[in-house]
Amino acid sequence: MTPEQARRVIFEVLADIAPEVDESTVDDDHDLTEQLDLDSMDYLNWMVGINEETGVDIPQRDVSEFLTIAGAVAYLVTHSPEPARVSAEAAGPARGLAALEGRAG
Amino acid sequence: MIDFLLPSLGADMDRAKLNLWLVGPGDPVHKGQIIAEVETEKAVLEVECWDEGVIEELLVQPGPEWLPVGTLIARIRSVEPAQTPGPVETPTAPAQKPLPARPPAGRPEPAPPIRHLAHELGVDLSTLQGTGEGGTITRSDVRAATAPADKPTAIPISGELRIKASPRARFLANRLGLDLGQVPASGPGGMVTAADVESQPIPAVEPEDKVGAMRRAIARSMAHSKREIPHYYLATHIDLDEALRWLDVQNAERSVAERILPAALLLKATALGLREIPDLNGHWIDDSFRPSSSIHLGVAVSIREGGLVAPAIHDADQLDLGEMMARLRDLVNRARSWRLRSSEMSDPTMTVTNLGDRGVETAFPVIIPPQVAMVGLGKVVDTVVAVEGSPVVHPVIHATLSADHRVTDGHRGGLFLATIDRLLQEPQSL
Repeated sequence: MTPEQARRVIFEVLADIAPEVDESTVDDDHDLTEQLDLDSMDYLNWMVGINEETGVDIPQRDVSEFLTIAGAVAYLVTHSPEPARVSAEAAGPARGLAALEGRAG
Repeated sequence: MIDFLLPSLGADMDRAKLNLWLVGPGDPVHKGQIIAEVETEKAVLEVECWDEGVIEELLVQPGPEWLPVGTLIARIRSVEPAQTPGPVETPTAPAQKPLPARPPAGRPEPAPPIRHLAHELGVDLSTLQGTGEGGTITRSDVRAATAPADKPTAIPISGELRIKASPRARFLANRLGLDLGQVPASGPGGMVTAADVESQPIPAVEPEDKVGAMRRAIARSMAHSKREIPHYYLATHIDLDEALRWLDVQNAERSVAERILPAALLLKATALGLREIPDLNGHWIDDSFRPSSSIHLGVAVSIREGGLVAPAIHDADQLDLGEMMARLRDLVNRARSWRLRSSEMSDPTMTVTNLGDRGVETAFPVIIPPQVAMVGLGKVVDTVVAVEGSPVVHPVIHATLSADHRVTDGHRGGLFLATIDRLLQEPQSL
C-alpha cells in the first residue's frame, strides 16, 4: 500500500466518524483524539474501520502507533500486504483497495 | 383490536413528529419490531411495537406536525400467539427494520458503522459478497454496491423515499438546511456527495435547528432536576491497576473489532453494584420511589454537533463483557447518527456519564428525572498510591455519585461506590 492509499483509507473512515472534519486542516503529527475531539469509542471505530478496509491487523500493543495520522500512515504502509501487481490505480482507487483486501482476507 | 399510541419517549419528551412508517395495513407485526420512525427535539427514534398482530390501519400520516405522547397513531388486529411451550419467543414475521437486512448466516455480522453506512446509501447487505476477512462486508463493498447509474436514485422504504447520500453529505445538508432530495447527485449509483451539497446555494429560509431544539430539551430536563431533586454528592478514588492489567491480557487476544474498552468494564461493575444497592435503581414518580426490577443502565453520549442523549443498555447486569461492549458500541454509534429506539430513551433506570474520556478528572452529574441517581466517571490518571506501606504508581479513577436525597442517604450511596470499587478489584468476575 502506498502512503497515498493509506491516507485515503484513513480519511475515508474518519469521514464516517467525524463528518465535519476537513482533511486540509488536520495536522499529521498532532495527537488525533485531541485535535479532532475523538473519544475512545470514536478512536476504536476508526481503527476497526481501517482494519476492515485494509485487512491490516492492529494488535493492542500497536494502538499507540495510531495516535497521529503520520503514525497511522507509516503503520499501514509497513504492515499492509504487497500491493497488487495488477495496477490498482488502473482499476480505480476503490477497486484497488478492494483488491488489497481480497489478498489480505 | 389494539390501539397503538405514540409511546413515551423519555424524560420531558412529550411530543414527536412522525417521520415515516415502516409497515403498512395488512403487514404482520411482532413484539420488538420497529414499525415507525419519529423525531423528538433530542433524537430520531425508532418506535418499537410491543404486540403481536396485523396492522389494521395507520391513523396518522408522516408530517411536520407535533403529536403529543399518547396520540392514537395506528390500530393493530391482535393475533392469538401460537401455543408454543417454552420461554423462547419466535417472531411470526420477518423483522422489518430500517437498518438493512443482515447477511445470510455463516458470515460475520457487519459492524454497526457498516450497517449504518449501508442504510445511508440504501444498500441491501443481504445481497453483498464480503471481501474482508472471513467474508466480512467492508465499507468498500458497501460503496461498490452503489453501482454506476446516470441519475439520482432513492430507495423506497414502505412507500417513503430515502435519498442515497454519503454521511458527510448528510451532515452538510443538515447543517445548511438543504433538502437532499433537491441536490443533483454525481456520486456512484446516484449518491449525493459532499461536493454536490457544497455546490448548492444556501437556502434563504432558516434551517431547522436540531441542535438548538436538543439544547432546549436538555434545559427543560436539567432545570426540572435542579428545581425538584435534592441532590447529594459523593466521590471516591478507585484503583484500576488490577482491572486494567486484566483487560490488557483479554484484549491482547482479541481482534481490534472485538476489543473491550475500560468503559464496558466500569458499566458492568456499576450495573452489578445496583443489584446490591437496588434503592438507587428506579424512578421517583408521584411522590414515591418506584424501584425497578430490571437494570437498564443509561449511558450519556455526547453528540458531535453539540448536546447529549442518555439512552439505555437494557438488562446491563446480565451481559457479559463482550456483549456489554458490543451493545455500548452499537448504542453510541446509533445515538451519534440520531437513530435510537423509543424504549432506549424512555426506560433507563440509572445513568452513567463517562466524562473521563474527554479528559475531565471528576464529574458531578445532574440526575435525569425521574431517575434517582447518576454515576460520574472521570479520567484514568496515573497516581501515587500506597500499597502495603510503599508508594507505587497506579491508574486511578475518580468515581462520583449524585443521588436523590428523597430516596437514599449518603450511607447507602457510599456503600454503592464501595461496591463498585470491590467489584473492579476482581475484574475476572465481571
